[in-house]
Formats: sequence, C-alpha cells, structure tokens
Amino acid sequence: MTPSGMSLRYTGAWLLRLGMGGLLVVAGLLKLRDPSAFAVEISNYQLLPSLAAYPAAILPATELVLGLALVVAPAPWRRAATVGVAVLFLFFTVAVTSAYARGINIACGCFGGGGDAIGPLTLVRNLALLLGISGLWVWDAPLRPAAPATPAQPS
Amino acid sequence: MNDDPEFEPAPTRGPPGPTAARIGGDGLPSRLAVLIAAGAALGLLINLAHPRAVRFASFAPPRVCSAGDEHTGAATPPAVELLSLAEVASLCGDPHAMVADARSAARFAEGHVAGAVHLPCASSRIAANAALDRLVGKETLVVYGDSTEEAMPVAEELRRRGDRPGLRVAVLAGGFPAWSQAGLACSSGPCADCGVHR
Repeated sequence: MTPSGMSLRYTGAWLLRLGMGGLLVVAGLLKLRDPSAFAVEISNYQLLPSLAAYPAAILPATELVLGLALVVAPAPWRRAATVGVAVLFLFFTVAVTSAYARGINIACGCFGGGGDAIGPLTLVRNLALLLGISGLWVWDAPLRPAAPATPAQPS
Repeated sequence: MNDDPEFEPAPTRGPPGPTAARIGGDGLPSRLAVLIAAGAALGLLINLAHPRAVRFASFAPPRVCSAGDEHTGAATPPAVELLSLAEVASLCGDPHAMVADARSAARFAEGHVAGAVHLPCASSRIAANAALDRLVGKETLVVYGDSTEEAMPVAEELRRRGDRPGLRVAVLAGGFPAWSQAGLACSSGPCADCGVHR
C-alpha cells in the first residue's frame, strides 16, 4: 500500500472508531440514566419480555466499555471490541427487524427511554452501523509487513 | 525490531490466513470475553447503586392494555364514561373532541369513524404519547374498538397517562360494529395524519 493509501486508511479507521465508539458511549450513558425505563423498552420488543431486566442492567455498561475500548484501547483490544460491537449491532438489527416485521409499534429505545418509533429508517441506520463496523474491522487491521518474495520454482 | 504498537509482526508460519480464520487468533476471544465481562460487571454494579435500578426478581413487563387494572376496584367510580351512539355522533365536528380507534391497522383501514385517529392497544407508549400530544386543547376523547371491552383498557390507559383532570375520556358503547350498523359517518383508508401508524 502506498503511503498516501496508508494515511487514508489510518484516518478512515480513526474516524470510524471515534464515531462508533462515541455513539456507543453516548447511547450507553443515556440508557444508564434509567435502567427501569430501559427494561420496559426492551420488554416492548416482546422477545422474552420477562427476562428484559437482565439486558437492561448489562447492555448499557457493555456498550460503554466496548465504545471506550474502540476509541482508546491498544490495537489488540480494539480488535476484540470491534467484534463485540459487531455482535451487538447484529443483535440490535435482528431485534428491530423482528419487531418491525411483527408490526409492533414501539420506540426504538436505542438511546434510552422513548425516542423514535422503529421503522425503515431505524433498519437503515442499523444496517449502516453494521456496515461501518465491518469497514472498521477491515481498515483497522494490524499492519503486516510485506511477505518476502518467494523464489520462483524451477519448472 | 519495530516499536510501533500498531505493528503486528509477520507470522512465522506461512502467510496470514483469511479474515474469518484470523478472528479466532491472537487471543481475541479471551479479550472479547474480558470486555464483555467487564461491561456486565460494571452494569450490575451501577444497577445495584442506581435509584432507578431494575429489580430482577420483581420486574414484570408492562401490559399496556391493562395498565388501568388498579383503578377498577369496586369502591372506585368508573373514570371512563360510556357514551351512546347518539352522544358520540353529536360530538362530530366538535373541535374540542377527538375520536380514537383502538382496533388493528387493518380493521382501521377497512373502515372507521370519520375523523378518528388510529390508536391500537398494541401501539405502546409512542402512539399513546402522540395521541396525548394531539389532545392539547381537547375536552373529550372518545375511544372505540370492535367492542366496548376492547376500547375500555385503551381509554383507561389514556386517561391515566393524560393526567388531565378536565379531560373527559369516554368509550363508544357497542364499538364500531354498532356505529357502522347505525349508518353513522364512516371513512376508510389508513390514518393519514397519525404520527405513528402501523
């Protein structure tokens, strides 16, 4: 890769990390303000609603930790956080798609209590986040030196 | 020796594998487990000390349509009125009255009371809040369903959430079938001006 290509990739990865990490930190903090309300938002999805208290207690802080790790952690920990965030976004997308497909008219709860009703825009946003985190996985890959040229095999 | 923390030394055995294969390498699963465990532990600790903590043992998902159950004791007078067809018909065109349809979106689209907004029982807080916003300046809210019983919990919920002492919340006796059979004003199609409709 050329130096300018490296610089572009580094800047892109840094911006993605900052954007995704910042978004997760904000979302986690907003949800942490009222765990009870967040539990209600989760139960509204009608996916095992009686168990909603557990993700309501755990998810916001997990988002916070993963978001912070994306922004400030050393490279190996960032890679792990990237996978964790991807799994989280995939889970959110499945939940939103499921609720939308079942015609359940509820708030997204993506940033704590209330918020916009889930709809096509929520789905597009979630898919964009999935795309972003996939891009981060590719762009933020550790730099590897070029493999030494192997001598041509005599025919 | 490269001191760059971003730099990953070349593998000693063969070229780097495909991305999928490398996800499991370099201790990534254990780091991921540590991050998730840290998040979960932090979340549980925060919840433990939070004034609005969610209680695992006693948490019960809300039942939107039964939120008014606690108000239905024998000693409590009914807060939601039951209005006859004629009484509701007399409210048509009244700018201080609003009619809400508590049935499904499909049933609403098939036919509804003229001027009614769609507010199904399953709509949860979003639609209820949107309806409450629309209630500004209204004095009467009439809710109807396919039966009186279907509309009553929605009306109770709106009365409870609205928290407006002056607001008269009522249910159309007999629901939409009675309205339709009486040949009163109906219209069809989805709710055009509802903020949330499905």
